[in-house]
Amino acid sequence: MLHTLKLLIPALVPSWRFFDIIAPSPRVQFTLLSAEDEEPQSWHTFRPRPANLSFIQMLGRMLWNPHWNESLFIASCAERLMETPTEHSENEIMQRILCDLASGVISNDSPEVSHLQFRLLVVERHGDRLQEDPVYYSHVEPIPRQDAV
Amino acid sequence: MSFEVAIRWTEILLGFAFAQQSLEHLYAKAGARALFFARLLLAILLIVGIQTAWAAYLLLLLALVMLHRFQGPYNGGADRMGLLILCCLCLVYFLPTQRWKEIAFGYLALQLVLSYFISGWVKIVNSDWRNGTALRDVFIFSAYPVSGSLRAWSESPRALFILSWGVILFELLFPVSLLSNISLAIALVIAAIFHFSNACLFGLNRFFWVWVAAYPSILWFQNRIMATGY
Repeated sequence: MLHTLKLLIPALVPSWRFFDIIAPSPRVQFTLLSAEDEEPQSWHTFRPRPANLSFIQMLGRMLWNPHWNESLFIASCAERLMETPTEHSENEIMQRILCDLASGVISNDSPEVSHLQFRLLVVERHGDRLQEDPVYYSHVEPIPRQDAV
Repeated sequence: MSFEVAIRWTEILLGFAFAQQSLEHLYAKAGARALFFARLLLAILLIVGIQTAWAAYLLLLLALVMLHRFQGPYNGGADRMGLLILCCLCLVYFLPTQRWKEIAFGYLALQLVLSYFISGWVKIVNSDWRNGTALRDVFIFSAYPVSGSLRAWSESPRALFILSWGVILFELLFPVSLLSNISLAIALVIAAIFHFSNACLFGLNRFFWVWVAAYPSILWFQNRIMATGY
């Protein structure tokens, strides 16, 4: 309860320091594994942004933008994980990858896939060059069988 | 704008913002659906004006549960502003005298002014903002641009330099707009366009609706200050 009230204080006395510095930005990537101890072979970007968005689509998102707002929450969880790793933040990201996997948003044609892991890359600019470095690896999560989801 | 009218408009606009957010959550697969269904019903009560005080108290209780559920705000600054407006509304309903009610609502107006001014201040003291590099970084590698093609805006440094200074000057000068009804109305239209642009470019649609919900407080506050001088 005390912790929740502490979370309320920044709303009552806000700092309003929007975009004061442009901090290194996290990206979430995931890999599908056929065994808990399998070495990851390839990593895929979770929820890649579309190449283009028309103005009409942007207008529509003024009223209906659940997917993007969830992606922003995932980015917040990733930032929290980079600062202070917690089970909560890791689970929030993991659950959303599992949901996308169960609903077919993430395609998985291989029947051998049984486990999931994600990692966080941090993207930052060094001079004129962008650099991406892995900074966090999640635990390996068993994927529930489709009929159990 | 009278105090009563400003409160009623705040209820309607905040109710709309909460309803919009709740509908989005009801669609999300991993969200806390029961919480947001209750929030949607309470937001509708705020909009239609039925039992608004009790609706606001229960919305505040739900907000605390959500803070616990997500271990912080779900959508950063937008959720914090929504919570601030809600707390100020609850105080207006709860406090016993008109003077204290006005102090609570005036606090919201003050925070709205600070939300622009402090945002401008932290930018102008940062050399990366003054030379346009910070806005370039927003487009080139931050998580915010809604499409890959928007990343190309980072290749227009002159335009980003002008945009940076436009944002900084608007935010810093916002408090000056309180000098008259007309200047405040113009500033609020510009501010709404600014939030609309952020919603289009960075997908921050919730900021638009929540910040607009705080505008009645500043319209009332400005009238109050100009009419009485304190």
